[in-house]
Formats: sequence, structure tokens, C-alpha cells
Amino acid sequence: MVVTSIMVIFAMPAVMLDSTYLIFDRTMSMHFFNQSEGGDALFYQHLFWFFGHPEVYIVFMPGLGFISSIVTAFTGRKIFGYTAIVSTLVITGFLGFSVWVHHMFATGLPQLGQSFFTAASLMIVIPTAVQMFCWIATMWSGRLRVATPMLFVFAFFLTFTIGGMSGIMVGSVPLDWQLHDTYFIVAHLHYVLIGGAIFSLFGAFYFWFPKWTGRMYDEALGQFSFWLLLIGFNVTFFPMHILGLRGMPRRVYTYQPGMGWESLSRTASIGAALIALGVLMMLINFAISRRSGVVAGANPWNADTLEWSISSPPPVYNFLHIPVVSGANAVWDAAPDQPYVTGMRFDRREVLVTKTLDAEPDHREEMPAHSIYPFILALTTTLGLAGSIFYAWWFVVGMILTTIAGIGWFWPSKEDVREELRREMAMEAVRD
Amino acid sequence: MNQRVLDVSGLSHAPADSRALIWWGNLAMMAIEGTVFAMAIATFLYLRMKNLDWPPATVPKPDMLLPIVNLVLLILSGLPALMSDAAARKEDLTAVRIGMALFILAGIVFLAIRFVIMANIGYKWSDHAFGSIVWVVVGLHTFHVLAASGENTLLLIYLFVRPATKKRYLDVRCAAVYWYFVILSWLPFFFFIYVQPWMHRKGM
Repeated sequence: MVVTSIMVIFAMPAVMLDSTYLIFDRTMSMHFFNQSEGGDALFYQHLFWFFGHPEVYIVFMPGLGFISSIVTAFTGRKIFGYTAIVSTLVITGFLGFSVWVHHMFATGLPQLGQSFFTAASLMIVIPTAVQMFCWIATMWSGRLRVATPMLFVFAFFLTFTIGGMSGIMVGSVPLDWQLHDTYFIVAHLHYVLIGGAIFSLFGAFYFWFPKWTGRMYDEALGQFSFWLLLIGFNVTFFPMHILGLRGMPRRVYTYQPGMGWESLSRTASIGAALIALGVLMMLINFAISRRSGVVAGANPWNADTLEWSISSPPPVYNFLHIPVVSGANAVWDAAPDQPYVTGMRFDRREVLVTKTLDAEPDHREEMPAHSIYPFILALTTTLGLAGSIFYAWWFVVGMILTTIAGIGWFWPSKEDVREELRREMAMEAVRD
Repeated sequence: MNQRVLDVSGLSHAPADSRALIWWGNLAMMAIEGTVFAMAIATFLYLRMKNLDWPPATVPKPDMLLPIVNLVLLILSGLPALMSDAAARKEDLTAVRIGMALFILAGIVFLAIRFVIMANIGYKWSDHAFGSIVWVVVGLHTFHVLAASGENTLLLIYLFVRPATKKRYLDVRCAAVYWYFVILSWLPFFFFIYVQPWMHRKGM
């Protein structure tokens, strides 16, 4: 979570600035990407991929979290090498920012740059491998149970590893020159993103479905849908490696007959139908089980994290009392008379702020109450930003409206001020 | 069996220092905008690398008097910001009001001088890529001065019409920290607009 958020903070500004430049070029006759007035079109790609590659990790890092949760629950042991997994995530977060040029090897860049970005790209293998081996060690030494979520974890291992292998291939410049803009790249990116993000997400759907709805999904139907998805996925995307090697270009919707691509393309289409069927099975499973599945109880998987300590589905207020946590596997680590937090107010939205390292309670923070203003803010910013695509002055209009809405939101109400004053008086009284 | 509890009713609310959530929100905001600024500078360097003439031959050497006056004014406005920051820590309302009024005033004068500078800069953003990036960078920074000054004015008005609580003193401190950021971010921009292009003029 933290790594993903930090990556968002530093990656998003690039695409923000990039699209702003583009809007300026289009609506205000600036020349950032205009070759004839000293601009450079390639700069658009640089800024885009400086965002775009970290974005890949932003997409699939939550998936790594799902995997860790599922593996922990289904092996019944603490995850092997927790520190190693966390630190390799941090390393991936850093490395993710130094590999963007590997999307641009075919654009004619200096050779030193290409070597640097090849090396950086191949280095990503190291932290990813460490995570893989930690999960394997956890499964090896734990008591492994197999159900649909765990099957998706296995599918993640298989497809993501194949995607990583083809990643090593396109990470080296000579091969990339050959394979750039062919179906090989389509195969590679689906193996890493469907393998990394979608399979782990589907596993998470099944894993948290009981918590979500209070009922179990149908296991047989779940496994059937899983096999449809795994087989369908490989039937669709594996032939694309070969199509790419045979020179089939991507982003072109059709081709002349007799290129030798027909049968493999047809195979891929059949696979796509299998994938659709698998997803349909999953949706049907969820729709039926939501009403008539076996009642799940609070913790059907005997899992370790806090959400499993409350009833399924969770009450709207989540926790009646904030639980005190005594370890990374909160449910397993809890004592029979595990303490909980009291003394928070129920009539205001208070949250507890803890210290960063030892998580001791430090102070209470009051969150704002319901307000229509955030919604108005969303409308005004949308008006300003979407309008600016067509006409630059819309931005100014949007900003002015946003400022007015922001003032409306942040100006404290009389009641809030009274509450604050009363609180401070009480604190003074305690001090005296 | 007695349930053990962790009683937090004695904990204080919203401390006016770096433990507060809003303090970190403010820092994260500056991290995001700092990244935007860094990329704007990267744009400068990238375009310089790609151009044979940088700045283009038609761009005259700028008159340095007003830009330097404005730079000094902006740096000096950090003093009243420091003053209101320190006063907010001691909850000294009068000093907070004076300090804030001074650095808001400095911001307004700065904007007026900048208006004069940019009105006479001698090229438009639609003339060439150099013009585009200079105007974007100046626009970015102007926008920050304008937004910060507007927000500070609002906070100052609030401090005259409503009672000052701990939360508002925290707001004053965040406003001051944000103002330091506005000051510091202009230094590299100043260097890349007024110093570097003329020290090593490319193509002449």
C-alpha cells in the first residue's frame, strides 16, 4: 500500500504535465511537441512512459498483497521472509522509475542509454524472484489447502513467470528491435498483467466473497470456472508469442490472407471465448451463492487479518470497538482477552492517530462530517479539466468555481468552533 | 473475566505540530508539486539538448533589474512567514496576524511586479518551444503564489472574525511551510530562465 501510494505520488505528475503540455500545444499554440519550432515529439513518449512504467507496478502491486494474504490463509502459517518481501517491494518501487526507456528502444536512442535501461529492466527480476521464492517457501513449509483462491495463486505463479521470461527477452535491445510492435509484446504484457493483476484479483474475489456476502461460493463451479479461465487464457495468448515471432504487427486490425497467421489467430479467438465463458461462470456462481450459498461464518478460511474477526458481512460501522493489534497476523496473535480501545466519542467522527514506528496511540483526530461540497468540487474540477481539452478558458472557469466550493467546504461551522473551544477549555482545566 | 481495555479518552486532540495529519498532507502536497516542478526543469534541459539555438536567436537578453528586485522581495517575504510560524507555536495571535498580513502583502506586490516583467518579456508562448516552457514555468509559479496568497488572506480574515483555536494555529504553520516551498521553488526556475541560458548561450 505504502509503496504503491508513494509511486502514485511521484509517477502521476509526469502524465499530468505531459497531458497539460499537449493541451497547451493544441489549444494555445505552444510548441512542446512541435518539431519545427524547437519542440520534440519524442518528449511526449518520455514523459508518458516515465508515468506508464511505474503505473504497471501500481496496477499489479495490490495483486502481490492479495497473493500474500491468500497464501498465508491457505497454508496456516506466517509468511516466510516477511522482511524480504516488504523490502523487495520497496526496491521494485525504486527500480520501476528507472526502466521507462525500455518501451522506447525502437525510437533511436543513444546506445549507452539503451544499455543502462536494459540493465535496470533486467534487475527487476531480482526482487520479483525473491518474492516468488518466499511464497514457495511458505507453501512448502505450511499445511497447504487447495481451494479456488489458491488455484488462482498457482495460476499467478505460472503465467507471471512465463511473462517474466518473455520480459527478459524483450528487455534486451536486439531482440526488442525484432519484436517491437508485434504480437509478441501483446503476449508478454497479457502474461504479466493478466497473470499478475487479474488472476490475483479473481483469487481475491473468491477469497473475500464469504466476507463480502456472508455466504460461501460454490467450490465445484469455482474450480470449473478457474480451469476455463486458465486454459482459455493460455490458448488465447500463448499462440501470440509465435505470431509475433512470425512478424504479425500489433495495433493493426486485419491482414491479407496467406500470411501464415490464420490458424493461430483462430486458435486465439477460441481461447477468448473460453475466457468469456469462465468469467460468465464466475458471475453466475457469485449471483447464485449470494442468495443460497452455505452460510460462511466470521472466518471460514481461519485467516489471520482483522476483517475476519468480525461477522460476515461486516456491519456498517465495521468494528464496534477498535481492536488492539499485537502482531502482523492480528487474528492469530490475539490473546483470548485481547484488549480493545475505549474512550473514543460516538457522536463525532473521531479517529485514533498512532505513532509511526511503534504504533502507540498518540492523539485523536476529528474527521469532517457529511457535506455536499466534495461532490460539488468533483463537478467543478471535472468541468474545468474536461472543458480545457476543448477551450483553454474553461480551466479558469472551473478553477474559480472550485475555489468557491473549496471555501464552502473548509470554512468551519459555528458548531465545530464551539466544540473546539470547549475541548480546549477542558484540556486547560486538566492541566491546571 | 475482566475485559482488558486501552482507554484513550485522556489523549489530546490535533496537536499543532508535525504529529498532525494535516501537516503530513501538506508535505505530501509539496512532494507532488515538487515533482511537477522538477519535471518542468527536465523539460527545459531536454529541449535545450534537442535545439541548436537555445534560447532562440530572436530572444533578447532580459533586463535583470526587476527580476532581481522581485527575487529579493520573495526571499525576504520568508521572514514574516517565519515570524507567524514561530508566533503560532506560542499561540501569540497579534504576531500571527502581523506576520501573515506582511507576507500576504509581499505576495501581492510580487505578483504586480511579475505582471510588469511578463508584459515586457518580448516573446510569446506561441513563438517557439523556449517561449512555451518559460511561460509555463512562470505560469505554474504564479499560480502557486496566487493560490497561496488567496488562501492565506482567507485564513487571516478568519483569524479576525472567529476565535483562534489550536487547529487554526496549525493552519497558520502549514501556510507558512507552504510559503517556504513557494519561495524555494522559484530559485531553480529563476536560474533556468535568467541565469543559465545566458551563461552558456547555445548556438551563438
